Amino acid sequence: MNVLEINKLTKQFGDFIAVDNLSLSIQDGEIFGFLGANGAGKSTAINMITSLLPITRGQIEILGKNIVKHSKFAKANIGIVPQELAIYEDMTAYENVQFFAGLYGLRGSLLKSRAEEALAFVGLEDKHRSYSKNFSGGMKRRLNIACAIAHRPKLIIMDEPTVGIDPQSRSYILNSIKKLNEMGSTIIYTSHYMEEVEEICTRIAIIDHGKIIAQGTKQQLKAIITNQKNISIEVRSVEQLDVEKLRDIVGVNTVELADAVIRISSDAEINNLNKIIQQLMASGMEIRSVEADEPNLETVFLTLTGRSLRD
Amino acid sequence: MSDTLWLIRKTLITTFKNYKNLLLYIGMPIVGILLASLIHGGSGETTLRLGIVNHDEGQTVTEDTVQFIKQLDHVEASGIKESEANDLIVSGELDAVLIFQGGFAESLRSGKPESVRIVSIKGTQVTGYVSSYLNAYIDNLATIGRTVQGDAASFDVIYNGYRQADFELSKTMVEDRSVSQGMTKQTIGYLLIFMLFSAVNLSGIIIKEKENRTYFRLLASPISARTYVISNVIVNLFMMMIQIAVTLIVMIRMFDIDPGIPFWQMFLILLLFALVAVALSLVIVAFAGSSMAASALQNMLIMPTCLLAGCLFPIELMPASIQRFAEFLPQHWLLDTFSKLQLGSSLDSVLLNLGILLAFAAALSLIAIYKFGRNRDMRSYI
Repeated sequence: MNVLEINKLTKQFGDFIAVDNLSLSIQDGEIFGFLGANGAGKSTAINMITSLLPITRGQIEILGKNIVKHSKFAKANIGIVPQELAIYEDMTAYENVQFFAGLYGLRGSLLKSRAEEALAFVGLEDKHRSYSKNFSGGMKRRLNIACAIAHRPKLIIMDEPTVGIDPQSRSYILNSIKKLNEMGSTIIYTSHYMEEVEEICTRIAIIDHGKIIAQGTKQQLKAIITNQKNISIEVRSVEQLDVEKLRDIVGVNTVELADAVIRISSDAEINNLNKIIQQLMASGMEIRSVEADEPNLETVFLTLTGRSLRD
Repeated sequence: MSDTLWLIRKTLITTFKNYKNLLLYIGMPIVGILLASLIHGGSGETTLRLGIVNHDEGQTVTEDTVQFIKQLDHVEASGIKESEANDLIVSGELDAVLIFQGGFAESLRSGKPESVRIVSIKGTQVTGYVSSYLNAYIDNLATIGRTVQGDAASFDVIYNGYRQADFELSKTMVEDRSVSQGMTKQTIGYLLIFMLFSAVNLSGIIIKEKENRTYFRLLASPISARTYVISNVIVNLFMMMIQIAVTLIVMIRMFDIDPGIPFWQMFLILLLFALVAVALSLVIVAFAGSSMAASALQNMLIMPTCLLAGCLFPIELMPASIQRFAEFLPQHWLLDTFSKLQLGSSLDSVLLNLGILLAFAAALSLIAIYKFGRNRDMRSYI
């Protein structure tokens, strides 16, 4: 059964189309990675899924029910972990979780036990009475998660839940996500950390300019670009580099610069390494090393969108 | 309903957790009563200090007239020399000086009384009281003089009878309510200011929730924006009710101020103003993009309008053009309603005022609803 079904979803702000005819389906039990650079339309799509933004065109169904017609049902089955913290600093950890869970109709002893379970789940069971304003960044992030899961939603949307925290808290959160998934929740996960997405997501969609340009498992996405090779050339300085001349070489698809490293994505079938090196030497570049990379999710994203995820 | 109560519970808990809020919502109106008492407390009964220059010494009739002045209520009279009069008045030691010229008694006997000179720099506000009593006393004696047609012996006989006659005096005290009514108006003026500030602060919770993003988390739950705003309005009105009740009870019971209007009438009329205050606060919140903007709008709108409407000092002190401008302000109509009721008007006669207040509340609410409906500023939640 599909937990989420999106069909030809469009969001328009005046003349600007933020989400363009987007369709996807997420099945029960998946951890679905949603990748897109800033401004790609990812947030707009998620805001429509959570009913925070009205839909211009198209349909969204949660557990088979249209979210416009069955707004309360849809909202009750979603838990949202926003990237920016959405907790009350003048309330204790327990009060925060209790309040947000109460918005979903939980009351009395059930509310108490669910709030306690959620806090225990994120490792804050000994911080019930502590005010969240006194928490570290990692603890606040964990409380942010607890507030989203106490009502046991079927679908949990997590946007950058690990941003800006220490490795220990990140590891704790990633393990929690896997555990939530094992407990039966379906998860939509967005992150700028490709290694996190590779580690936990069962399926991934890449969104660019409001459209899904690729979706599938990690293997399926990498298979899209197996006809690509990635070459990293370290030079002394890139100041004299003429990027356009490199792009003009037959087979070269993208050229990216990072400090003194030139990253070139090229058709695997065309042998153009000699021409690339000749071009660099003709430009007076001093080559220090040449490496061919294995394709990973970053490469897939870069190849498909022409830009890095952090752009 | 359960959702609304849940939201109300949370807002009340977080509001009362902060003692500064309690001070603002409850403490400040009480400070307002204290201020009103201090301002108006000294404007009640005062003693008139008189100096008397008697150039007609040795005359019983004149001595009796001086004695009559000295026995008047709220008058402190002492004999002085005429040469001292100006200095004592200018220095403020005396409010007025009465000068009896020589031959004053004789002029009464003849039925043609000479006038008593009154010297004062404080005008009729001070001299009116003494001169009216003095005129009445002199008129009586002059009537005797005119009756006996200058016969001194007959005058003395009738005068002695007049002095020794027994009168049955029936005395009715008319209470001076101007001071307590002034204090009430001043207190209500301050209360209106605090109500407006409190309302904006409480509605400002909506902006703060938007800023710390909990508002959008709330809207992602089955709670609707309408339920959320309604819960805020209920909390706001509840706080206003407490504020009004505490202020009126403290004013009447603790400070012993008689407003001249029944408690329940004052409470209901102020509750009507609470609707205006809450509606205005929602307009401010709907138009302000941030807490800072709301605070600026609050300061820009509340204090100047309260000043113009007469919340801080009587509107009669302002120029006529500004008094006309005040008619566009809800605070003016509330204060005007209280003034009319204090002067004895019936509730029916102030229905127009109450209708205008209700119209203000309705108009402001519609503006807020329209603006809230057009706010779609939630694109950046995720």
